[in-house]
Amino acid sequence: MMKYEPPLEKISVNIRETVVGHGEKALKIGGENTLPFHFFEGSLPNPPGLALEILDTEPENWAPSVLEPFEDVVSDPVKWAKKCVEVFGAEMLCLRLLSADPMGKNGSAEEAAEITKIVADAVDVPLIVWGTDMEEKDAQVLTQVARACSGKNLLLAPLVKGNYEEIAKAAMEHGHAIVAQASMDANLTKELNIALCKFFPPEKIVIDPTASALGYGLEYTFSIIEEIKQFGLADKDKMMQMPILCDFGGDCWRTKEAKENREQGILWEAITGITFILAGANLLILRHPEALKLIKEMVV
Amino acid sequence: MILIGEDLNVMSGEISRVIKEREPGPIQQCVAAQTKNGMDYLDVNVGPVKKDPEGTMEWLINTVQEVTDLPLCLDTTNPLAMEAGLKFCKSKALLNSASGATESMETMLPLAAKYSADVVLSVINDAGLPSDADERAASIMESAAVANELGIANENIWVDPVLLPIGVDQRQVTSYLEFIQMLQDLLPGAKSTCGLSNLSYGAPKELKSLLNRTFLVMIGRYGQHSAIVSGFDRELIRLIRGEVPEMVELIYRAMDEENMDISALPQKELEYVKTVQVLMGKSLYSHSWLEV
Repeated sequence: MMKYEPPLEKISVNIRETVVGHGEKALKIGGENTLPFHFFEGSLPNPPGLALEILDTEPENWAPSVLEPFEDVVSDPVKWAKKCVEVFGAEMLCLRLLSADPMGKNGSAEEAAEITKIVADAVDVPLIVWGTDMEEKDAQVLTQVARACSGKNLLLAPLVKGNYEEIAKAAMEHGHAIVAQASMDANLTKELNIALCKFFPPEKIVIDPTASALGYGLEYTFSIIEEIKQFGLADKDKMMQMPILCDFGGDCWRTKEAKENREQGILWEAITGITFILAGANLLILRHPEALKLIKEMVV
Repeated sequence: MILIGEDLNVMSGEISRVIKEREPGPIQQCVAAQTKNGMDYLDVNVGPVKKDPEGTMEWLINTVQEVTDLPLCLDTTNPLAMEAGLKFCKSKALLNSASGATESMETMLPLAAKYSADVVLSVINDAGLPSDADERAASIMESAAVANELGIANENIWVDPVLLPIGVDQRQVTSYLEFIQMLQDLLPGAKSTCGLSNLSYGAPKELKSLLNRTFLVMIGRYGQHSAIVSGFDRELIRLIRGEVPEMVELIYRAMDEENMDISALPQKELEYVKTVQVLMGKSLYSHSWLEV
């Protein structure tokens, strides 16, 4: 009798492999030629990257249970960063430059770049540097950061339609990767990538579809991630073959459930993260070390 | 292909103002220019006409008919204004529009029957806009049956499959293509139309016409009977009127996914081929689809 062989879908293209950081601890994300967890059909050479976030300023209004693990270090970003790496085992960090936020302290771009340099020098894991989410300010802040940390291959975020040119040019000159952000829209994601790829190397771009956590429209994010992956792999659309990043810790820890109860908060964040990995996310930014641990146990 | 000029439209602030102030000049200019540019019908889009619908329509239709002999396509959501308009049309009018929504079928279809007008019947129904070709088919079969019962023959129904902006939902564009190929099997003899400009809503201004005219050639090949278009889009008119047959041929070849050496194509040809590819859903739309 003939043995039944289930048909396998062979995809002839890959999601690009993006390297963040430098030296021994540099991390690769992406690189797969199949859908998430389809190990039977293709190869997924790199597990999803998991970053813990830290702030350059003491956090305000953080829920007690997400502040608790960092209570002794929040006043010093260097100590905070080291604790994440040494105690919580983070293989990547995301430094948020809250100090430069025009709606808050409105610190200068130079100051933000200085703090970033100090943190980047203090740890050897790759670093995502997240600006203020204000277009004009980020153009100043992230270009300064790019210059101050030349050669460190940071992942600078977020670049949007209104500021990508300046930041990407600085990133290219100083050897950094970038996050291209378009809000929940595959067409606009492609649009921004096309614009970037006119001068910027595509293998140094990570897509941020702007993730919404459970309870904020997670299903939309899920669909968008799936869509981008399908366009990239099945339709071989070169402008959609970048790894995908999701950032949702803030959303999770704003929920009533998370604020009221530590376990609920951790699960909220971990379930959101796992769901995005199932959709195809290649890099998550997490807030609670226990959420990091849970996700790591499940997928890595 | 029957072309219906869309430019007499209250969405234009100027047109809205001159209707309100009963100033015939700009209206007649717009009408005469579209007539001269070779339109077959003229759309008269007056919106809901809340104030004095009868008086407004009498004045407007007469003003229009003073400078054109073209048949009119009356575009209003107000049944009172619609009926007033139908009364004053000299030649067989096109009622734009009825849909499969209960309220619309109950008010607009009887008007079309009463005045022996042709009627635009869209695939929208009480559940909203169908999401694919099969749902469009199911919806139009139901509403056409209602129209038939009122004595409106298929030949007097202009089916509007509803065209959405490609930047909003590319899949709706491909299901339009699928549906228009089914239409003659579903409703033999029925005509069809669509609001073509909607396709490129939100697209870069200088590229709107390229999307619109390429799509019109594509659906024309699939039997599309008419479209509501800009009466001032000269490139579209030239293409549709057969003045650039080699481009039409090229669009057909791109639709057939014929092997072509894309790199050898001149700029203009290349643009058409790339546009066909996004319109067929072969590559994901972005505003810079020509740059990839």
